[in-house]
Amino acid sequence: MLNFHQKKKKKVVILGIDGVPCSLLRNLVSRGIMPNLASLVHEGALSEMTASIPEVSSTSWTTFMTGVNPGKHNIYGFMDLRKGSYEYRFPNSHDIKSDPIWEIIGRHNKRSIVINVPSTYPARPLNGILTAGFVALDLRKATFPESAYQYLQNIDYRMDVDTKKASQSLEAFAEDIDQTFRTREKALLHFFDNEEWDLFIGTITETDRLHHFFWSAYEDDAHAMHRFFIDFYKKIDALIGAMAQRCDKNTAFMIVSDHGFAAIKQELYLNAWLREERLLKFRKEPPESLSDIHPESKAFALDPSRIYINLETRYPSGSVKKEDYESIRALIKDSLQKLSIDGEKVVKEIFFKEDIYIGPHFESGPDLVALPHRGYDLKGSLNKNVLFGRSIFTGAHTRDDATFFLNRHLNIQKVNIMDVAPTVFELMGIEYNACDGKSVLYG
Amino acid sequence: MSTGSVLDRNGLTALPLAEKIRRSKEIIQEAISKFGLDKLVIAWTGGKDSTLMLWLFRETCREMNMTMPECIFIDEGDVFQEIVDHVGQVGKIWDVKVNVLKNTDVLSKAEKLGDIIRVAELNERNRREVQRIGFAGEEFPFEPESMVGNHLMKTIALSMFIENNDIHAVATAIRWDEQDARQTEGYFSVRHAPEHTRVHPVLHFRERDIWDVIHDRKLPFCLLYLKGYRSLGAKSSTVRFSDLPAWQQDLENTPERSGRGHDKEMIMAKLRDLGYM
Repeated sequence: MLNFHQKKKKKVVILGIDGVPCSLLRNLVSRGIMPNLASLVHEGALSEMTASIPEVSSTSWTTFMTGVNPGKHNIYGFMDLRKGSYEYRFPNSHDIKSDPIWEIIGRHNKRSIVINVPSTYPARPLNGILTAGFVALDLRKATFPESAYQYLQNIDYRMDVDTKKASQSLEAFAEDIDQTFRTREKALLHFFDNEEWDLFIGTITETDRLHHFFWSAYEDDAHAMHRFFIDFYKKIDALIGAMAQRCDKNTAFMIVSDHGFAAIKQELYLNAWLREERLLKFRKEPPESLSDIHPESKAFALDPSRIYINLETRYPSGSVKKEDYESIRALIKDSLQKLSIDGEKVVKEIFFKEDIYIGPHFESGPDLVALPHRGYDLKGSLNKNVLFGRSIFTGAHTRDDATFFLNRHLNIQKVNIMDVAPTVFELMGIEYNACDGKSVLYG
Repeated sequence: MSTGSVLDRNGLTALPLAEKIRRSKEIIQEAISKFGLDKLVIAWTGGKDSTLMLWLFRETCREMNMTMPECIFIDEGDVFQEIVDHVGQVGKIWDVKVNVLKNTDVLSKAEKLGDIIRVAELNERNRREVQRIGFAGEEFPFEPESMVGNHLMKTIALSMFIENNDIHAVATAIRWDEQDARQTEGYFSVRHAPEHTRVHPVLHFRERDIWDVIHDRKLPFCLLYLKGYRSLGAKSSTVRFSDLPAWQQDLENTPERSGRGHDKEMIMAKLRDLGYM
């Protein structure tokens, strides 16, 4: 419990670093590449954190900002299906069914600055300033209020890296990452210094982009991008230093990532696997969309690792009867667990939806979610004819090994991304009991 | 002049502006004599193309010494206030009757975008329509530019007006250069369920021509174009990519409708780049 005097005026700063594994930070700290983080680690607690299921930014950041599981916040991935159809839809900030931290503390008269947190587009009005992160399309719609938009427009603020460049030229991609980071850092420190706030959240997504395409550059010091990779983390460290320096003793400083990363061994195409298992087929080849699904299909997959049973009651071409639901799920779980490549198991764990989701939006969740072993990326592509493959990407998300840091001496055993929001509430002295996670301060 | 082949269409699109205007007036005269003033309505969205078309109707009727046909304006539940203002002001000055078409049954079930509408609570006509387009769900979110929303809020609102008022023809301001799907349209095009004819008097105008006529004749236009919007649709799905007035943008080399209803394509492209599709 907090003392009364601590409740008075407690500020919280969170630096989000998309897709940064804790192990990478520990490694770079030990090699002297991140001196600012090194000194922070002496004064606080750095810990591996467990991300959401699935371990994808939209779901994980929404879990971060709400402190609840997807069964309550309703974001199961970057895409979903329109109810009663096979038509893709792309959930946005209006689909989030639980209040984010800043809207809750806003009701307690606390002001927030929220920069570049994924899944906040379009910007919902708040007590403070917000400019949305991925997938933000239009800066004006991404930003609240108008005055903040004017500022960002003036500094040529870049919402995201142009990832198309990664397949065109290493130099152009590197330059784009740098340029995007420069405007991000500028905006972050501007709002930090020139606005009143109680909660400050600034997220860097350039790290995730770098990892997707150039994780191999981290591990291989002969890689053409290795120098750039390391130098980029020096810039991240400089930003950590700049923010930490601005925080007085009473300000809580957190660093949070939404998932880890590992080198890709193989991508596994779940729909191709379902077809090989004769659980999925299409009315025409190749299918143009999921709507071409054959009514005899038992299941299909959506990115990144979500499997849905083609229930008669749920989909227009659904054929699976309620009474066969359990046996088909069991069959999929059983077969997928056995899947291996070069003698190595691909899937570490398979969850049924009731094992991991609870809440009013439970129904819209996937029926099974597969958690791969490190290095395997489970994909929902429709058009793959092979089970496994490689692409331009060299990094894959991991659910474990996300990052949590707080500038308090704590003995943190286990932390889940759902625990961040309740920790913020406790640090700020705000009573809010609707989170699924629990504050790390309880230990 | 036929509009059947690419050559015909290219020829018409290349005409000088004065010729294009004359051609449009001929189409309008033909439509009025074919369908009569009270069986023909002008679909006025408040956008630049339909405002120009409305002006062409006005000029033609003045020259023929006739009253104007009535206008229809579809309120799909997500209209820019600037468009409402423009239609109100111009409608008054030009003295045209504007019928506002709404699917009141659906609108009464939703207060704001994203509200969930239960199919079972809709009236019989709307329930039948939902079924007719193959939607199997029990509920859908109120979003005018989604498949169900678009059908109920726009198509059905218009169909009901046509049926209830025995309308034979609807003039709309589509253009060949707007998007690929429109390149095979003719000036008169018969539609079924309900049976009526679509009249397209400005098919041969290019985006640049529209602005040239608007400025040349000092015609009114919605202020959103001044703010950088190039093509107007539902409020929540229309964005702009520039702060320049629409007519100062690179009309020839950038897509007109990219700011409209294309969010989905843009999101898909971004997700694809990160390997999520």
